Amino acid sequence: MGRFIARRMITLVGQVLLVATIVFLMLRLVPGDPARAILGETASEEQVASMRTKLGIDRPVWQQYVDWLGDAIRGDLGKSIISGRSISDDIMSRLGNSSELIAISVVTSLIIAIPLGTIAALKRNQFPDIALSSIAMLGLSLPGFVVGTVLVLLFGLKWKILPQARFVEFGDDPVAHMKLLILPGITLAIGNAAVLLRMMRSSMLEVMRQDYVRTARAKGLTDRRVITSHTLRNAINPVVSLVGLEIATLLGGMVIVEQIFNWPGLSTLLMSGVLSRDYPVVQGVVLVIAVITIIVNVIVDITYAVLDPRIRLA
Amino acid sequence: MVYGLSTDPSNFEPHISTGAASTSVKLMCYSTLLTYSPENEIIGDLAEEFGWVDDTTYQLKIREGVTFHDGSDLTVDDVIFSLQRIQNPDTAATNASYFAEVTDISAGDGNTVNLTFSRPFQAFDFILANTNSYIVSKAWIESGVDPKTTMMGTGPFVFKERIPGVSITLEKNPNYFIEGLPYLDGIIYQPMPDDTTRMTAVRSGTVDFADYVPYTQMDIIQNDPNLTFAYDDVSGFGWIGFNHEMAPGSDVAIRQAIAHGMNRDTMVTTAFAGHGSPITGGLIPEGMIGYAPDLEGTYTGDYEKAKSLLDEAGMNPLEFDMVSTSTYSVIQRPAEAAQAELQNANINAKLELQEWLTFRQTVADGTFPVHSWGTAIDYGDPDFLWNYFHSTGNMAKQFRFSDPDTDALLEQGRFETDAAVREEIYHDLQAHALELLPWVPSIRRVQGEAMQSFVMGYTHLPSWNPITMRQIWLDK
Repeated sequence: MGRFIARRMITLVGQVLLVATIVFLMLRLVPGDPARAILGETASEEQVASMRTKLGIDRPVWQQYVDWLGDAIRGDLGKSIISGRSISDDIMSRLGNSSELIAISVVTSLIIAIPLGTIAALKRNQFPDIALSSIAMLGLSLPGFVVGTVLVLLFGLKWKILPQARFVEFGDDPVAHMKLLILPGITLAIGNAAVLLRMMRSSMLEVMRQDYVRTARAKGLTDRRVITSHTLRNAINPVVSLVGLEIATLLGGMVIVEQIFNWPGLSTLLMSGVLSRDYPVVQGVVLVIAVITIIVNVIVDITYAVLDPRIRLA
Repeated sequence: MVYGLSTDPSNFEPHISTGAASTSVKLMCYSTLLTYSPENEIIGDLAEEFGWVDDTTYQLKIREGVTFHDGSDLTVDDVIFSLQRIQNPDTAATNASYFAEVTDISAGDGNTVNLTFSRPFQAFDFILANTNSYIVSKAWIESGVDPKTTMMGTGPFVFKERIPGVSITLEKNPNYFIEGLPYLDGIIYQPMPDDTTRMTAVRSGTVDFADYVPYTQMDIIQNDPNLTFAYDDVSGFGWIGFNHEMAPGSDVAIRQAIAHGMNRDTMVTTAFAGHGSPITGGLIPEGMIGYAPDLEGTYTGDYEKAKSLLDEAGMNPLEFDMVSTSTYSVIQRPAEAAQAELQNANINAKLELQEWLTFRQTVADGTFPVHSWGTAIDYGDPDFLWNYFHSTGNMAKQFRFSDPDTDALLEQGRFETDAAVREEIYHDLQAHALELLPWVPSIRRVQGEAMQSFVMGYTHLPSWNPITMRQIWLDK
């Protein structure tokens, strides 16, 4: 296990460097100029040129890359060229918020998806399966912005149960903070649960066709024993793998949910960085997301081995 | 008061425009030399007297007893420093070009500042009242502070804290130079970039005030007895623009065909569900010097006239690529409405929507022959047309437009001191522009703010200057 983790960490460095380089170069290929973003639409060409010099983005790309990489290796992600704020500070404050939202949505969706996916598989082609599959299809078909907007209108405006409120840190007011988490958590969980439920169902069906399950039944084990000891544990691996991917996707992909619910997360920071061509912010956020994604994948691999001892982490 | 803000301000730099949303924050911390009355007239703010003392000297008498939020006194030196900072190319200030004719800024007798011009610039009052002409503390700026991240001025509220993406908190300035103001104890700005969320927040009472009401929600807000909608339909306008060095926009007959090929009443309905108004004549609105009622109705949507112009040019039907942006619905919707309208005149505009900065780069590079754009009138003097029509104007340069007669009229208007003569000049300018069509004006849009009915004292000014926020009180 130790050797496995060490090897993955070495690969991690290479992968992160590759992602960082690609993002750095791609950003420079995107049309649109941060100097124009700063100066507004009526800026003259002379002002734009002067601002480019001030920002240091008129230097050769390789020089900008070397400087940025050198600072990043020393742990300095620099300052936003638009806001002037420390990128590390912004990322840290937002990463915590994003992680909370992801954790709530992933846990909720697992609580929904694992039992219901199992039931759907066990009752294949019967009413519970058809009903659950239809609900899952509905959850998959509804985009997050539709679910989110409807929840805001119903709970915030019509019933006034969870009105739109100012974001508060957990430390300042835990109850208010948790109340704020409910609607975005549900919005994200609905889509995730639908995906995981379908994966759980098909994985269960696949495992239930295996010889060892037939053997277990032939040995006279009860259905409950077969499911808990033989089927569920094996069927859950693809779901764990999917959860890992979902976490990585959500880190930078929750823009709409964050905006609808005023949740100051990493996605909104990344999005505003992209829209204003704030190169250092985008590079910093992507770098952090890349590192987390790779770490999550390592954790997923380790979880595999724990769940299924046949898998060796050699 | 809790304020739902449509954009999280990118930064607080006092001399570079960072958009309308951040202006409503910055103007509460900083002050300008001149400002607007609730009747939209220019009045003194930090300057108690102002005006031209001769053809080339503009004099300001600075209020005495004004203090910055750090307790230091506002001095003539601070005013001179601020104006020179705007003028300095290194600042890249939004208003720098308006100081091009200023040759000297110096202290005069008794708390006055004199600006010497090479030629008199008649719109200068408006430049000083503009929300990018803030007066800053020389000592504070020179202390090495980063004015992008914090604010310190002489305004009615003091900057307390900013939590990025969450809130900006301002507290009442007890030493504000206008006695009795402000009435509010403070303002908490909450960035709410999602339109539905922001409007839901104001409708449910979570926020007291919200800027930028989208046209889809205007009827709902106006019909809600608990809310007030303050707006104008004068400032925001759209146009079809051209790269004048590229066909088909290089041909004036084609530009005229496009101008005739759009029924703007229909466009207002299509684009904004009626929340706007057509521009059928000059761009200068009623109430501003140069408004030309006799030019109204020049372009009302005469498809047959448009087709005959295309026939004469041998280009019927006409097809071209048109670029616009998908980032702002107030620009995208008129572009789509124009595209639909032009088809009635056998004009097929193939519309490509780009992200905002990509779009601006595209227009600056001149890679598309035609574009559809929208913005707002910069200030309440017809001189704002300089930027769009004069060959040295930043927008005109992007359109590759240059016309000696237009330049001459704009220069006469800018430097003429007689108001009656200016009226004539700007009338002639608009008549000329409607013939030549540097670009084709399309429609105006409604822009406004929603607030609880207990929010009192606020007036939405057509200049979009939010100065009347300083006299808001909550009647509850």
